[in-house]
Amino acid sequence: MIKIKNLSKVFRTEEIETKALSDVSLTINQGDFISIMGASGSGKSTLLNIVGLLDSASSGSYQLLDQEMVGLKEKQKSKVRKENIGFIFQNFNLIDELSVYDNIELPLIYNKIPAAERKQKVEAIAEKLNISHRLKHYPQQLSGGQQQRVAVARALINDPKIILADEPTGNLDSKNGNEVMELLTDLHANGATILMVTHSDYDASFSQKTILMKDGIVLSEKTNSRNVDVLITS
Amino acid sequence: MLKNWINIFFYHIKNNKLFTVLNVLGLAIGIAGLIFATLYWNDEQSYNEWNPNKDTVFQVLVDMEDGKVWNNIPVTMAPFVKDDSNIEEMMYSENWYQSILYKYNGKKIIVEKVFNAENNFFNFFPFEFIKGNQKTALQNENSIAFSQKTAVLFFGTENPIGKQIQYEDQILTVTGIYKVNGNSAIAPDAVVNRMKAKINADKEEWGNFNNGWYIKLKDPSKAHELEAKIKSIFYKNKIAKEAKEEGITIKQYEAQFGAFNFYLEPLAISRMDTKGPGCPEGKGNYQFLLIMIGLSVLILILSIVNYVNLATANALRRAKEVGVRKIVGASQSNIIKQFLFETIITVIVAISLALVIVELSLPYYNEFLGKELIIYGSQFFLEIIIIFVVTVIFAGIFPAFYVSNFETLKVLKGNFGRNKSGVWLRNAMLILQFAIASFFIIGSYIVFQQVQYLGNKDLGFSGEQILEIFYFKPDAIRNDKNSEQLIFDRYTTTKNEVSKIKGVEQVATAALRFGGGNDSSSSFAYKGTNIQGQNIAVDFGFLEMMKIEMIQGRYLDPKIASDTINSMMVNETALKMMKEKDPIGKTVDWNGNKLKIVGVVKDFSLFSPQGKVPPMVFFHFKTIDWMIGNLNYLYVKVNAENTAQTIADIEKFWVKNVDSDYPFQYDFLDKSYKRTYQTYVKQKNLFYLLNVVVIVIALFGLFALASYSIERRMKEIAIRKTLGAETNVLLLELSKQYILFCIIGFLIALFPVYYLLNKWLENFANRIEISIYPFIIGFVALLFLTLVVVLSRAYQATRVDVLKYLKYE
Repeated sequence: MIKIKNLSKVFRTEEIETKALSDVSLTINQGDFISIMGASGSGKSTLLNIVGLLDSASSGSYQLLDQEMVGLKEKQKSKVRKENIGFIFQNFNLIDELSVYDNIELPLIYNKIPAAERKQKVEAIAEKLNISHRLKHYPQQLSGGQQQRVAVARALINDPKIILADEPTGNLDSKNGNEVMELLTDLHANGATILMVTHSDYDASFSQKTILMKDGIVLSEKTNSRNVDVLITS
Repeated sequence: MLKNWINIFFYHIKNNKLFTVLNVLGLAIGIAGLIFATLYWNDEQSYNEWNPNKDTVFQVLVDMEDGKVWNNIPVTMAPFVKDDSNIEEMMYSENWYQSILYKYNGKKIIVEKVFNAENNFFNFFPFEFIKGNQKTALQNENSIAFSQKTAVLFFGTENPIGKQIQYEDQILTVTGIYKVNGNSAIAPDAVVNRMKAKINADKEEWGNFNNGWYIKLKDPSKAHELEAKIKSIFYKNKIAKEAKEEGITIKQYEAQFGAFNFYLEPLAISRMDTKGPGCPEGKGNYQFLLIMIGLSVLILILSIVNYVNLATANALRRAKEVGVRKIVGASQSNIIKQFLFETIITVIVAISLALVIVELSLPYYNEFLGKELIIYGSQFFLEIIIIFVVTVIFAGIFPAFYVSNFETLKVLKGNFGRNKSGVWLRNAMLILQFAIASFFIIGSYIVFQQVQYLGNKDLGFSGEQILEIFYFKPDAIRNDKNSEQLIFDRYTTTKNEVSKIKGVEQVATAALRFGGGNDSSSSFAYKGTNIQGQNIAVDFGFLEMMKIEMIQGRYLDPKIASDTINSMMVNETALKMMKEKDPIGKTVDWNGNKLKIVGVVKDFSLFSPQGKVPPMVFFHFKTIDWMIGNLNYLYVKVNAENTAQTIADIEKFWVKNVDSDYPFQYDFLDKSYKRTYQTYVKQKNLFYLLNVVVIVIALFGLFALASYSIERRMKEIAIRKTLGAETNVLLLELSKQYILFCIIGFLIALFPVYYLLNKWLENFANRIEISIYPFIIGFVALLFLTLVVVLSRAYQATRVDVLKYLKYE
């Protein structure tokens, strides 16, 4: 599904040239759940942003669904993004001024889904993520875990081909963090492709494969053998 | 999509109530100003639009090279051009409105706007006829056509056609009822055809420029040919003959007395672009119209700048929203549309509010302009749409593009609140606002100074306790063979009787009206210079009563017999033009009369305080006896005690003995004279009002912007405070850029305000010179207001809890 070959990213200021990524290669198949780990500045977020088409690479190749993404114009990127990619952020990035319902509905609007269908979809996903009773509320009225669930709902509503999660539990306590991780595992179990950046070994252990990055290169890849004990806490 | 946009839009409104209200209000006021200017503009431009002949009917004007263009022409011309193939028809008229009292069935009504023209008037001004026949309405000399609303006053619901009304000792028959649809250069309440006698009286008089002349052409593009023809006819019959009598060539004659140039001016431009004094409805004040439009555009710019500034500043707060929208699939154009949508809603609300403001204040505006404007018409709605589109483009496009260009990644990483992009633009706009505010403050102060100067100016006469009483002369007396004697005798009797009333100190008159001029002007030559003097016939004691002083010589004296035969006086201006060092006793050839100068009158304002004092000549009514025909007012000096009782007594006497038909109309001279510069007092008041509006909008903009910018610098402030900065150092740090902007804005305004206000002051012969004070006062005021706003915001900022901002992020 995703083929990355020799991807590099260079940040230039007037005097210094920093290589955030150098010659990274990576393949993600349909149904994979991969986590990227690494210290601050290792390039993991840059990689995620490039995969998410929020940032562009300096050189190399990035193919998403057999289509070359490097060198795409902003307008095309925007199109690919809204059709294929769902984002989950550490700080949720919900629009504070919109209700939960409106937040979840947003991707559907931009994908020009008719109103009736939108309503149906939002309600279905809210049901699935157990936030139906919160649809009329605003983000600040929710707990962190609930906010992240709303963000997950928003990321999923469009049936994206791949879910990109940037430290999804970073702003949550362990209980809420666990819930979110279980949610992702569930999604994975149902066939979703997930790429997650995390600091936490624990979180990474939920994924099939962990990629460790340092100074812009992939240091190691390991396959997680752990069988997840699904703890239903709620 | 719309619903989503609306939700978020209302959320922001709810959370920024004050700014939203001020922002919309600012836009609304700006738009309201433009709507006012537009209404005014439409009204002025609509003059004669209704008239199908507006491009083929021409008014003949003459430029006598004395600084004025006249719209009255000798009636001797018509026979010489009547066979011109380009002329369809011609019409002479008395080119002004007369106010005439008509009686019907015991009702006495003064019709204010009676127009006297030849019987083909309605071919030139084809008003809609409701009753009667347009072609034949004015056929007979005893016929009269009424406007519909005037007819109702006389006849109520009865059919007016064929009704007979009384005009002095004659009977007129109503032959037509018309309606004037739209603004017209001539929009009379009644039209009469009484020109025959006037034309007959003047038919050999090539020097009597007494009547308006309207010509309808078959081919308007050939108007210039007719102009030349008229000129040559006039020169052949008047100038050539006179030059011959003087024994000089036509060239020499022109050099001495000035040339005569004739113009044909179509009705279409008779309101706004005329060279002459305009038609009876007057001409438009083009300059004032431009001022109105200019100022309202400035205010709209100011409020749009405010809007843009607030929108871009506010956009920083909404950066996250934009970022998220982009991530979940919004394209750039989509974001632009969303922000444009918000502007569109805001502008729609602002325009609606503006229309409410206009509707509510229209009566005051109408009173101010002396018009009857209404919000109406397809043209007006088209203009509203144009205003809407233009406002949306200027207010909306920039912020929308600005926001849509936010880089998603930076936004989502946080820290975007201190983004510097767009700051230079907001600062530039702030400077522009300062410049506009400076312009208004300085400008209105200069206007104030000039108007005050006019009010305090020594007029050269004293109108205190002087009553100005309208003195009507019936046609029977005016048209009598012996009219001069009759008028004079009637005046003498009235004067003697009124003088006896208790409280009356003196009665006198002159053939002039202070502030209104004197209706008579003749040229005379002295030592080879031609002087176009204003003729003023006076009664003994008049100048003394008005406290008009003499520079040399003496007042006219009833005891000196020659003072009613051949004595004259001139004023200072005339004397200067005569270049005579020792005028007393010198003889002037005035229209064939040899008059001897007995005194030089100190200059006094004849027309209005803003105008130059023209050259004037004075003589007694008996010296030039036809001048008595211009006697229209009686001047009565009354004792300051019991003035009310005295006036009541005069009125009682007046109604009983002088004029039982016309109502007793009087005014205190000093009060009525003030009206001559009423326009400028109104302009001053307008400027004041706009000044307040501008300052409020500008200060609000400054307040909002300072708030945003200080909010952006809160972390910096917190760090500085932690490091030990004292409050006053912080205050200086925070306000210094605004002081700089204030100074730059002020400097930018300097030249335009100086240039434009100088242009405005050119309206006045008596004017102030622009001094440094308005600038100093303007600058100090602006700086003071700026400091108040900025310091209050800055002070609040220095009071905050440091920890809150240092822990953030």
